[in-house]
Amino acid sequence: MKPTLLLVRFKIAAYLRSHRIIQPFVGLLAMLIILYSTRVLAGHELSSYGDSAALLVPVFAWAARGLLDTEPDVQRLISVTASGRPGREVTAGLLAAAAVNAVLAALAVLVPLGIGFAVMPGGAVLAGGLALHFLSLLTGTALGALSSRPILRDQAMSTLVMLGAYVAMLLISLAPVTWLTVPLISWMRAAGRPSFLASALPGLAAITLAWCTAAFLAYTYLRRTRP
Amino acid sequence: MRLANLSFRYARRAPWVLHDVRLDLPPGTVAEVTGRNGAGKSTLLRLLAGTTRPTRGTIADRPPIVGYAPEIFPVGQPFTVIAYLSHMAAVRGVPASAVTPWAERLGMTTFLDVPLGDLSKGSAHKVGLAQALLAPPGLLIMDEPFSGLDAETRAELPRIIEEVAAAGGIVVVSDHQSGLADRPGLTRLAVEHNTVRLLSPGEALAPDPHIGASEAPAADDVFAESTPLSSDTDAPGERAGPRLSPDPTDRAETVVSGKTVIEVLVDGDEAEAVTQKLRADGYDAHIRGERL
Repeated sequence: MKPTLLLVRFKIAAYLRSHRIIQPFVGLLAMLIILYSTRVLAGHELSSYGDSAALLVPVFAWAARGLLDTEPDVQRLISVTASGRPGREVTAGLLAAAAVNAVLAALAVLVPLGIGFAVMPGGAVLAGGLALHFLSLLTGTALGALSSRPILRDQAMSTLVMLGAYVAMLLISLAPVTWLTVPLISWMRAAGRPSFLASALPGLAAITLAWCTAAFLAYTYLRRTRP
Repeated sequence: MRLANLSFRYARRAPWVLHDVRLDLPPGTVAEVTGRNGAGKSTLLRLLAGTTRPTRGTIADRPPIVGYAPEIFPVGQPFTVIAYLSHMAAVRGVPASAVTPWAERLGMTTFLDVPLGDLSKGSAHKVGLAQALLAPPGLLIMDEPFSGLDAETRAELPRIIEEVAAAGGIVVVSDHQSGLADRPGLTRLAVEHNTVRLLSPGEALAPDPHIGASEAPAADDVFAESTPLSSDTDAPGERAGPRLSPDPTDRAETVVSGKTVIEVLVDGDEAEAVTQKLRADGYDAHIRGERL
């Protein structure tokens, strides 16, 4: 495991030093300004977190794709030999992208506590917000990985696929059948209800995790022939 | 390390880049891979290094520590030389102090604090070599390692290769510049006709895939067998075209259907060098001797 984690450190260092994180960071700031330009009234915090989680998926995808694309193609080959196995390089890329997105997600949860919410919400709301943003960063990381350069070499096509897949997820999740895709709209709808944590979250999380697992497996499978 | 029935192509219906390659590379082997541009040398090296999965076949007993020095080191990375090599040393599980001896041997001490993007071609190439050597490799793969190196490092590289081989490592080098030509016991591999075969001592690479090459070399202890392309593939098979005439003055008579003669005018003192370069690339090049 150690070579994988050290490769994660290398990839994150390369991403930060390249300053490419500025792009999704600006996207995150824009979303936070839109969401919290007017103060959220007491009792509506979880609903705001639901909106934030659904809207930040493309930001997380952008960050994940940017991180994975920062590494030149030949460096990936070097990293494979340095870490000892191709699987370690693939895992390290996904972990590094998830780690960067975890920081962005933490900002999305913490910033409104200071400037967005009229009153400090309780622990249950915070837990719900964290859970929703965890699902969001997983979805975004998977989407970004599947549109990264090893999978889609053309940059324009990659951007189209990433944004198109997000819009498709939004549209399909409008349908009453929640398991057809990652249920982004259901996140938003369910987060407004008082019994969200106990009744809706487990089911929505299960569907989201299943789709994300399928996406990560697909990415790992495709990378077998796309070093 | 043993390659069994190794085949590779980029897509399901694409032509085979390599087909049915069988090789046995015992510890201590130093192998030089030659072939025309696009013949599949780099693909073979990446298959050997384990960075590319074979479409069919297997590679058994690959040593656990593999050093891979690419033909062109990727300088588009936001690190200084020392920061990059320290990261690679950490990933390989060796201390950062392992960088220093290689930096000294490869003449890199003057640019350790230089960003990768500011390096000259030769300096960047040295970084690619150094990262491959940080941990003592059981398998050292080097793609055109002599390219762009200064004279001191060109002289040092064969010594490094000898040390790796003496420690039981396998060294495979793709080399257009014949930097190891004088090494006794060098295993010479030719990538041609979508497969890999052993060249016997003194044998040159077949000049063209459509012109007959000499017969397969005599068996060597290093190799279980050389492998001509099987006839049931969609790649060009072994062709028994006319043999080259040993006398260059007979060129006009031996031009083969489908081939084209191109004329390249160079300064008289460069003629031999250019001819050698073309031959190294697998072309059938000769000096006509006319001075204009």
